Order: sequence, then C-alpha cells, then structure tokens
Amino acid sequence: MAESICRALRDGALEGELAPALTIKDSVASPFALQVFSHVLSQLFSSILAGKSQSRGLVVVSFSRSPSFYLDLLKNKGTDIASSNNQIQILDCYSDPLGWKDQLAGSRNFTALSNEVLVSSTAIVFREVKHMDKLYNSIIELGKGLVGGGKIRFSIAIDSVDEMLRHAPVSSVARFLSNLRSHDQISSIFWLLHSDLHEARVTAVLEYLSSIVASLEPSHQLANGQRGDLENFSLIKHNSKKGKFHVRFKKRNGRVRVMSEEVHIELSGINFTSLPSEGAINQGLVPKVQFSLQLSEKERIDKANVVLPFEHQGNGKPIQIYDGRRSLVDGKHERPFAAVENVQTNENCGSGEIIYYRDSDDEMPDSDEDPDDDLDI
Amino acid sequence: MAAAKTRTSTFSRNLSTAAPSHGPGLKCGPNGTVFLSSGIPDLDKILGGGFPLGSLVMVMEDAEAPHHMLLLRNFMAQGLVLGQHLLYSSPARDPRGFLGTLPSPAASKDDKSRERDPDQEKGLRIAWQYKKYFGENQLDGQRDGKHEYSNEFDLRKPLERHFINGPRIDCVSIQDCPDLSTLRDRCATFLSQFPRNDGSISCAGRIAIQSFCAPQRAYSNMEWDMLSFIRSLKSMVRSSNSVAIITFPPSLLSPSFCKRWQHMADTLLSVKAIQDEDKELAQLLTGYQDMVGFLNVHKVARINTQVPVILEATTFSIKLQKRRYLVLECLNQAPVDGSSGTSYGTSGGCSSSSKTGNLDF
Repeated sequence: MAESICRALRDGALEGELAPALTIKDSVASPFALQVFSHVLSQLFSSILAGKSQSRGLVVVSFSRSPSFYLDLLKNKGTDIASSNNQIQILDCYSDPLGWKDQLAGSRNFTALSNEVLVSSTAIVFREVKHMDKLYNSIIELGKGLVGGGKIRFSIAIDSVDEMLRHAPVSSVARFLSNLRSHDQISSIFWLLHSDLHEARVTAVLEYLSSIVASLEPSHQLANGQRGDLENFSLIKHNSKKGKFHVRFKKRNGRVRVMSEEVHIELSGINFTSLPSEGAINQGLVPKVQFSLQLSEKERIDKANVVLPFEHQGNGKPIQIYDGRRSLVDGKHERPFAAVENVQTNENCGSGEIIYYRDSDDEMPDSDEDPDDDLDI
Repeated sequence: MAAAKTRTSTFSRNLSTAAPSHGPGLKCGPNGTVFLSSGIPDLDKILGGGFPLGSLVMVMEDAEAPHHMLLLRNFMAQGLVLGQHLLYSSPARDPRGFLGTLPSPAASKDDKSRERDPDQEKGLRIAWQYKKYFGENQLDGQRDGKHEYSNEFDLRKPLERHFINGPRIDCVSIQDCPDLSTLRDRCATFLSQFPRNDGSISCAGRIAIQSFCAPQRAYSNMEWDMLSFIRSLKSMVRSSNSVAIITFPPSLLSPSFCKRWQHMADTLLSVKAIQDEDKELAQLLTGYQDMVGFLNVHKVARINTQVPVILEATTFSIKLQKRRYLVLECLNQAPVDGSSGTSYGTSGGCSSSSKTGNLDF
C-alpha cells in the first residue's frame, strides 16, 4: 500500500543497516510510474517539512524532467517552496548532462539559448553524468549542504534510473546505488524505472538492490495482436486511467510482504484504493489441488435431500426388479460426487434422485438386519 | 529374543587401528573423507556429517531475503572458534565490518541441559534392559566431542573480539578491481597453506565468498571469466584441506550460466524467502509462524565414491529458535485435503487439524 511505502521511507534507516531503497517500476501497458513517483515525493517532502521523518532534507536528482517541474509539483501540493529552501535541493542532470552547452558556449562565444527560469538557489546543474563517482560526490555534497555533517540524514529521489543507464554501465550504476545505500547520512532513497527500456537482467539488478519493489500493472491484460478490436479499445481506455499496484517489501526478518492496491489516475493526482477482489496476490508455493473437496451450501442441501437406495424405503411400494425391458430415462445428473452404481435422475423433478433396481432375484435382497449383529465379541 | 548379541561371522572388517588424528574441528567420515562442520548442527546432520574437505559449496541466494548471510555467518564463526583459517570476500567496501556480526557459540545452553539430565533420569522409568545404553559416560563423551567439531551459535551474541582480530582471518574486498586475478591470487596463496598429503591434517581452511556475481562487482558481466574462476577455485580447493563456500544470486545470471554454476558445485544449497501472512501456506504447513525461510538441498558432495546421497527430504524450513539459534526442520504438512505436496519433503506431523471436517461422508 502506498501508505506503507511512504511510512517505510519516512522511518528511514537503522544504525548499521543499509538505507531502504524503493524501485517504482512500470511498463507501457500501465505507465503511471511518474504519478506514483510524484506522489511519494510530495508525501515524503511534506513529512520532512513537518519534521515527522528521520531525514531532514531531500535531494532530487532529476534526469528526465526539468527542476521547475518538481518545484511546481510541490507548490501545487501546497508546500511552500520559498521558505523551505534549506530542505530541498535539486541536482539538475536534465539541462546539460554531458556538458555540451558549456562546450558550445566556450568554443563559439555565444550565449546558451535556453530560456529556462533560473531557479539557481535550489537547483544545481551537473554536467558529467558519465562519471558515477562525481555524481556520487555531488549528491553527497548537496546533501551535506542541506543538513550539515554529523549524524543528520537526508533522502534522495532519482528521477529515472533509465537515463543513468544510458550513460553508464549497469555495474557502475549498481555500485553507485549500493554506495549511496550504505552511506551513513542517507535515510532513504527511491527511484523510477521503466522496465520496457531495459533487458530483464537490468531490472533484476535494480530489484536486487532495492528493499521495496513497487510495480504497476494494467488491471486488464490485453490480448496480443488484437489491438483493433472494439473490446480492446475499451480495455485500453480503462487501462489509461486505472491500474494495479503491487508492492513487495523485503522485511528485516527475511520475510517478504506482498500487497496490492488499485490505482486511479485523476487530474488532481493519484488515488490508491484497496483491491475489490481478494486481498494480497498469492504467488505461493502452495500446490494446487485438482478437485474441490468442499461442498457449497446448495450442494449440501441437495445431498441431504437425496434418498439413499435401499431397496425398500418403508413406504409400502413393491420392490421392483429390473427385467431388461424397461427403458430407463436418462437425464443428466449434476452432483459433485457420485457414488452409486445406477444413478439416474428423473427429468421431471428438480433435485436429484437415485433409483436403484435390483438386477435379478439371485442377488441377496437388502435386509433390515445388521450383518454385524451375529459377531461374537 | 535374548539380549542383543554381537554378530560374529567369518568376515571381519579390517579397520586400520591407527585412525589418523586430525586437528580440531575435523571428523572422519566414510570413504576416507574428512568433514568439517558448517556451523549449523542440523545442516551437518542433513549432509551426513558436514562439508567434506576439498569440496566446493555453492549457495543460491534469494534476492528478497538475506538468509544466505545466516549460513555464511555460522560457517565463518565455526571456523574461527575452532582455530581454522578463514578467507572472506564480499562486495562491500569494508568486508571487516561483516565480521562484527558473527555469532558467538552458545555454551550455556548445553550446561543447563547437562544439569537437568540426572534429575530427568530419576523421573523416567527406563526398562532395565535399556539402562546400559544410557550410561553417563556416553552422554558426556558425545557432548565433548560435539563441541570440538561443531557448535550451536547464538545469533544475538557477537563473537569475541580476539577471534576476529586474530591472524587467521584474511579479508578481500574486490569492489574496485576490474577483474578476478586479484581474488584468484589471494585464494591461491591462502590455499597453499593447507596442502593435502597423506598424513594427518594439522589445520584446515575455509573460504567464504559472498554474493559472487553481485552487480556492484566490476566483473559481474564477464560471465565466462567468473565461470573459469570458479573452476580454478574448485580445483585448487580439491587439492587442499579446505572448504570453499560461494553464494550468488541466480536471478542476476543468464539461465545457461546459472546452470553451469550449479553443475560446478559439489554441494548445492539454495535459500528462499517466505511470504509474510500467507494464509494458504499457514494452513499447509505447521509452524509457519516461526519460519523465516526455506533451505533446499539440491546436491550433496560425494567424493571418493560413486554412490549418490538420496535424502529423505530436500526442503527444510529455517527457523530461529528464541530468535537466537538457527535450526532447520523438515516440513510438516498440516493434515489437509490430500493435496500432494510433491515439492516438499513431508514427515507425518500429527498435529491436530485446524479445519473441522466438512468432509463427513
């Protein structure tokens, strides 16, 4: 649940442990990771402002969006940016990640043609995204600038690890993330990932490095290759507003907690509601039983109504012996367990009946005596 | 009928009278193998004595749970307590930090049970013909012998500093090394201290490599190089008196390499996480609340013999008794609808069924 995620990030890291790390993962079928990321970001920031969280500052490393996006986002959520200057810093890896503008400006003597609003008090441009070590150092510096040295911690939000993986190999990104997690002053860290952009191994690596994995899936799986169908159009439309949100928490005792929710995207933001169907998704180790051994209520009543096939039911009817000339009406029987030799149902009556005709006179008739009576114990 | 008589036959086994005396922590096993303890007495029992010297143990981690660390901790602590040498490598910058989390042997538990025994004896009425099997000497001897070979570890008590600071530990951090040559050289120098010859073994060595293909390691995408490292380590270990244990997360390897690595192992174990609050699993297994994970034994080392080990059960639950002692238990399937738990080893658990029968045909 989104609440538990935000709580986990708020509570932060224990002494001597790695900081909790969250991966928010989505795919083309359900592309809401940015909304979830923004939600988590704004929740965490408001708890930092309110002083309810372990961390005292937030560093946003933005690769895919301009810093003004985050500032606007936080402003829209009602947090006052101007007064909270010393609690958020943005490392701008979006404007000029490889330092080209600098090179252009330097070599040709013309001013950069950017018309971004300078928010230089909160955003610092970073120009060397290929060097993970320098990125690491800049982040730590920014964070220390926010909260000072010592034991005070800060949190990190990385918008889109995908961009990092464009510039640097997986192993250096992995080393970068695990070094951040093991730094003493980092309280929590979370990042965004679009799983379609990478091979499965890369996603596996990022999941390995995180302690909480939140993934977004479409509520209805679309059938492949039938995109033109009318049915699928409505499903696609459905999927563009709703999705399923699965979270796997790696707990300290070694157990994994799995939770699911439904996610609705609205103009105002994102809403999490609990799943309408059964609770947590069970990807269990439980072996599936092939048949059902339990009776539903209706079945139980039907079972009670069945008259068992003793030859005489004590109601005065003559005993009939099947003589081969009668044609017995076959009906369909619908009972989950059928136990007797000749089971036929009368088409007329609604419930089931067991009709038994003794084949011939040679067979012993059912008697009322209990055959165990003559046992000498 | 009569009291047990020793069988005499014309065939008598030619036991060499001088069983080679080994250093502490080593036990002779069948087929001329010598075992050393894994640090977990239950695991030793399951594997038929322990890890044989010269074998390579591989543990497949689960990315979602740190249970392989439990196995490693016990393994390393056992070696240190018995004075065996240890080489440890981890993906962290400072592997020595991990040594601070090693557990200390739980000595007090045994003393308590030793005191209790004579009282219990008086309460128990043992049939007279069996009394001779309960002689005091036997129990004592067994216990002392056990301490020399394996200990139970208290995971809440850290190992005493003098064990950790001794000269017998070597730590290797290869986070920044671009390739495996450093690690290979360190392993080679370490193992050269324990060459195998026919005489008695003075001391044994243990190598523990944690998360071998972890993504932080620079060589983690050089799959063939890692495989050849494992192969050379295995051959170095085979000709020395030591045991190497390597843990790795199989989800980070490509499937074909994962299979190759599994084939390389002499003993192959895997750990799996348990889902929390899983109602179906809770109904299926007794004792679900105390379990922290599953341990699967896929392969058991058989050196010097062609007879394979066939275990009664291959899946065990990992439990922490009193949150301190690691125990492995067979899975007990709660009496349920008759689902065939073919993937689990089951032993008849006769606990009372939690389901009241709807099934009263």
